[in-house]
Amino acid sequence: MSLEFRFQSASTEYQKIQTELASLVENRTRLDAQLSENEMVKKEFAQLTPSNAVYKLVGPVLVPQDQNEAKTNVETRLEFIKSEIKRVDAQINEGEDRSEKKKNELVKIQTKLQQAQSTPNS
Amino acid sequence: MASTTSSQPQQINVADLDLQQLSDVRRQLEEELNHLTNSFAQLKQAQAKFKSCIENVGEVKPQNKGTTILVPLTNSLYVPGHLSDAENVIVDVGTGYYVKKSRAQATKYYETKVEYIRTNLDTLQETIQKKQENMNYLINVMQAKLQQPQAQPSKA
Repeated sequence: MSLEFRFQSASTEYQKIQTELASLVENRTRLDAQLSENEMVKKEFAQLTPSNAVYKLVGPVLVPQDQNEAKTNVETRLEFIKSEIKRVDAQINEGEDRSEKKKNELVKIQTKLQQAQSTPNS
Repeated sequence: MASTTSSQPQQINVADLDLQQLSDVRRQLEEELNHLTNSFAQLKQAQAKFKSCIENVGEVKPQNKGTTILVPLTNSLYVPGHLSDAENVIVDVGTGYYVKKSRAQATKYYETKVEYIRTNLDTLQETIQKKQENMNYLINVMQAKLQQPQAQPSKA
């Protein structure tokens, strides 16, 4: 039956969109965590005194780094994370739109199916 | 963590839902509660870690300068070492950055961390409590519904 087939394909598509959305949201939460971590570091850097040497972990060793360099580094990282968050947010919105549309489509097909089943035909 | 948790965009009376929907809502609430209590435990752990850091910094003091300590290279391999700088410690501030701090600064750093986590724990506790209340209310409604099954014919 073509109607059932359409229902099948629509529901698999819907599920696909849902998993996509889930991974996007996961992405978004990870970015949020990174953002807050970097913001903490920035706050910490803001109250450094000249006697506080800054080191960066490179592989297994600590490399001394200039305070200002470290500060700008964190700043650019924050910028990057913020733009990433914007991008992912846009993707999530778009995905939600698509999922909503698919859902409506699914409901339509389902009502049609039910109608077809309730009217007795051979 | 405030972006994706707008739980009730339009007000729906829980008593209007049927059992199937109620159990769905209940499952969702259970999931949220689980997640929140997990986060709570994790925060508690982090707080304990910072607290032990404060204690450890307290051990780095001038009296202990030059005393022999055992430095762990792996979990089971230690080598003897001497504490040569009893004034400064190096603190992990996150994202791969480490800062050399004096003992007082380090203690203060960890204390603010502990305090910060405490405020987080407090708000988390509140949300958990609210969710718990919602849960109890929901279960009450469900039980009430179960006890008078289809008293009136289902309304459209």
